[in-house]
Amino acid sequence: MTDTAATMTFHPQPQGGPPRPWDFPAPERAVLGNGLTVLHCHRPGQQVVAVEVLLDAPLDAEPEGLDGVATIAARALNEGTARHSAEEFAAELERCGATMDAHADHPGMRVSLEVPASRLERALGLLADALRTPAFDRAEIERLVGNRLDEIPHELANPARRAAMALYKELFPAGSRISRPRQGTAESVARIDADAARAFYTAHARPSTSTLVLVGDLTGTDPVALLERTVGEWSGGAAQPRPVPAITSDDAGRVVIVDRPGAVQTQLLIGRTGPDRHDAVWPAQVLGTYCLGGTLTSRLDRVLREEKGYTYGVRAFGQVLRSGPDGAGGASMLAISGSVATEVTAPALEDAWQVLRTLAEEGLTDDERDVAVQNLVGVAPLKYETAAAVADTLADQVEQHLPDDFQARLYARMASTGTVEATAAVVNAFPTDRLVVVLVGDAARIEEPVTALGLGPVRVVRG
Amino acid sequence: MGHTATPQARSGGLKATEHRLANGLRVVLSEDHLTPVAAVCLWYDVGSRHEVKGRTGLAHLFEHLMFQGSANVHGNGHFELVQGAGGSLNGTTSFERTNYFETMPAHQLELALWLEADRMGSLLTALDEESLENQRDVVKNERRQRYDNVPYGTAFERLVAMAYPDGHPYHHTPIGSMADLDAASLEDARAFFRTYYAPNNAVLSVVGDIDPEQTLAWVEKYFGSIPGHDGKPAPRDGSLPEVIGGQLREVVEEEVPSRALMSVFRLPHDGTREADAADLALTVLGGGESSRLYNRLVRRDRSAVAAGFGMLRLAGAPSLGWLDVKASGGVEVPVIEAAVDEELARFAQEGPTPEEMERAQAQIEREWLDRLGTVAGRADELCRYAVLFGDPQLAFTAVGRVLEVTADEVRAQAAARLRPDNRAVLVYEPTAPAEGPAGEAGDEAAGGEAGEENEAKGEDA
Repeated sequence: MTDTAATMTFHPQPQGGPPRPWDFPAPERAVLGNGLTVLHCHRPGQQVVAVEVLLDAPLDAEPEGLDGVATIAARALNEGTARHSAEEFAAELERCGATMDAHADHPGMRVSLEVPASRLERALGLLADALRTPAFDRAEIERLVGNRLDEIPHELANPARRAAMALYKELFPAGSRISRPRQGTAESVARIDADAARAFYTAHARPSTSTLVLVGDLTGTDPVALLERTVGEWSGGAAQPRPVPAITSDDAGRVVIVDRPGAVQTQLLIGRTGPDRHDAVWPAQVLGTYCLGGTLTSRLDRVLREEKGYTYGVRAFGQVLRSGPDGAGGASMLAISGSVATEVTAPALEDAWQVLRTLAEEGLTDDERDVAVQNLVGVAPLKYETAAAVADTLADQVEQHLPDDFQARLYARMASTGTVEATAAVVNAFPTDRLVVVLVGDAARIEEPVTALGLGPVRVVRG
Repeated sequence: MGHTATPQARSGGLKATEHRLANGLRVVLSEDHLTPVAAVCLWYDVGSRHEVKGRTGLAHLFEHLMFQGSANVHGNGHFELVQGAGGSLNGTTSFERTNYFETMPAHQLELALWLEADRMGSLLTALDEESLENQRDVVKNERRQRYDNVPYGTAFERLVAMAYPDGHPYHHTPIGSMADLDAASLEDARAFFRTYYAPNNAVLSVVGDIDPEQTLAWVEKYFGSIPGHDGKPAPRDGSLPEVIGGQLREVVEEEVPSRALMSVFRLPHDGTREADAADLALTVLGGGESSRLYNRLVRRDRSAVAAGFGMLRLAGAPSLGWLDVKASGGVEVPVIEAAVDEELARFAQEGPTPEEMERAQAQIEREWLDRLGTVAGRADELCRYAVLFGDPQLAFTAVGRVLEVTADEVRAQAAARLRPDNRAVLVYEPTAPAEGPAGEAGDEAAGGEAGEENEAKGEDA
């Protein structure tokens, strides 16, 4: 048998030409007559236009005992206006070829619209109606509440979601909004009605504390005039931005097992909180976290996947939870997540801890740091090819009280971050004795071997 | 472009050129200088339909082995070099093809071509028992994570097994069975490569900020000396009667959070006008929140948490329409099923209203704009039409064809296909009542489409 390699002509690995310049898009700013702040950005060729609207209606504004009212209010924006019933509104949006989604999170409420450029104005008219005169129809809200209650068992059954729920509950002080499920519990959601949803929306949604981001091929469009004609009709009084309460957490090393008898895999979620993007350490932390677990050639997967075959993939990441206007009080979730075969749960954790210890003892190599910079900076033009990706990042920046050129400057800052800084940042981000470990899996099979690892006290909770 | 619904539609201005190397490799190039990126996509005309009994999952397992090094690329070098150059990459396996793709900063295009050529020509010099054992475990964990450890995770596999009878090349899904994954040997992998991984069994597309002449010269330089070879067996016959010919039914009692009603229907082959008409019928009935089934089950009857139709387009066997309804609270499946039957029967009689046609076409048009809006999406579609239908240019006219379909054609497809005797039904009955205090909106990177297996877990920065 002859392999084709014998007959193929090999050439040396090519080295690549000079990079072609690319910058993260710089938006233009305007304020509409109604006080709505606007960021717009022309992206030639992007025929699907993306719109993001940020409302200063964070979860901690929800009234006591009504967790989930922000979510119901957000979803209600899709369920009819003064002009259209819920079914008509959905039909009108789809007639534009548009999708509109709204959700509520710790920093605020967010509405995302995507629509072909040719039907942008029509879709913006519908968005304006939704913001201006949402119906909060009694029957529709009742349906949304029922639907939300039906969703909860599905979320509980999902190992990754169940793990996230347990981690938040464990990390944050009982009584703090952030310790509880974003979209409410069965108990709190059941209390929500149309009056509560309307009252929440009316109290917190107004143009003067909101921002709209518009990105896409805007050829032949005057974006500000277009927005004045549509969302410019939305009116509301002035208001002070809401204060952002500080986030505190308890990251003393411990293990919580959410019992899933018979599970063939264990879902891992290992986390604690750390600094947000305002902190000078952010670029170094992004680099270091990538080296630890950003991809399948990072340290964790090199062992857990490519050497041991314990998992389809484990990732380390840092995700901002919320930021304050002056850079104070913000926090991000730093975490490692993935799933491993049940029988290798303890060995996988042991290896993960060994990876972290080795990293702390020996540090990153210059090669690792270089590859991380080349990847994270190099992928930017790919990552931001679509209007939706650009709009999402611009909206994140606004939501986190960052300057519009934050992402553009972040690339330069990462490029000038050294190996030593990246090592220090990731070692500080993932100290082996300050990590809360959540395992969703078969307690009867994993509790004993995991306890023997000595990662901290182990507690088993019912699935 | 024949249609005028959105005159500025991107597809109108796009062009591609076609070339063929002496060894049979087909090459499609498409220029777009808006962003300094270039996408490389390579489709091999092999998928899970080519697998034989006892070796299900081999095409996908093999796809993983393609990332384990070749003559000039060590171990994980393919991933390291692409990511180190600022690129992103992956591979996926479906019923009908295996694809590999890199999106690169434009100045690094040559590296991606070199890497793809190296493994096309020399994979077997690096393939060993150790990487097979390792990737076998990784793939088994992929199966557990995406199917076995997820509520309703094996639904798709069960539905497909009913829609295509035992022995049919599409009877099993690309992930394969645990037993067959265990049984795959190094010799199986070698034979698979020798049979299917040849330049004359592949299409390469390069899209983006490229110089076509230079690109073609690089393709010739790196791929040109890889010998083509014949000997690929003709795929097993995938033809089947247009309708199943009776209603198949399976009830699964499992620990799932709610009752569910799922069904698949055999639909026309991809690439036909009838398939586009069927797609529109599924969109009107179950695509989005103004669809008939959503309005009926979720809004009016409040019998379902979610209700929708999806379409799995297949060229070598009947396509599938896939209905997925998750029951609300204590609602029983027969109640939902009766409502679905009523809506399907009514639609088969009445057909879509003009407003429904407009909405469905607008939705499908946006999906096409999305797909063709990135260089990687465009590269993949060019390969798809070249491999499955012999003409990459069809990618640019696809949306126009959907817009030409008439309401009467849509009604005719619904009447011919969405009938009880063309349906395989899967019912879930929960074994233990779901209990628990609350749900958390976690963050999770979801896997690929149904019936498509990925090499790497979703990447996010």
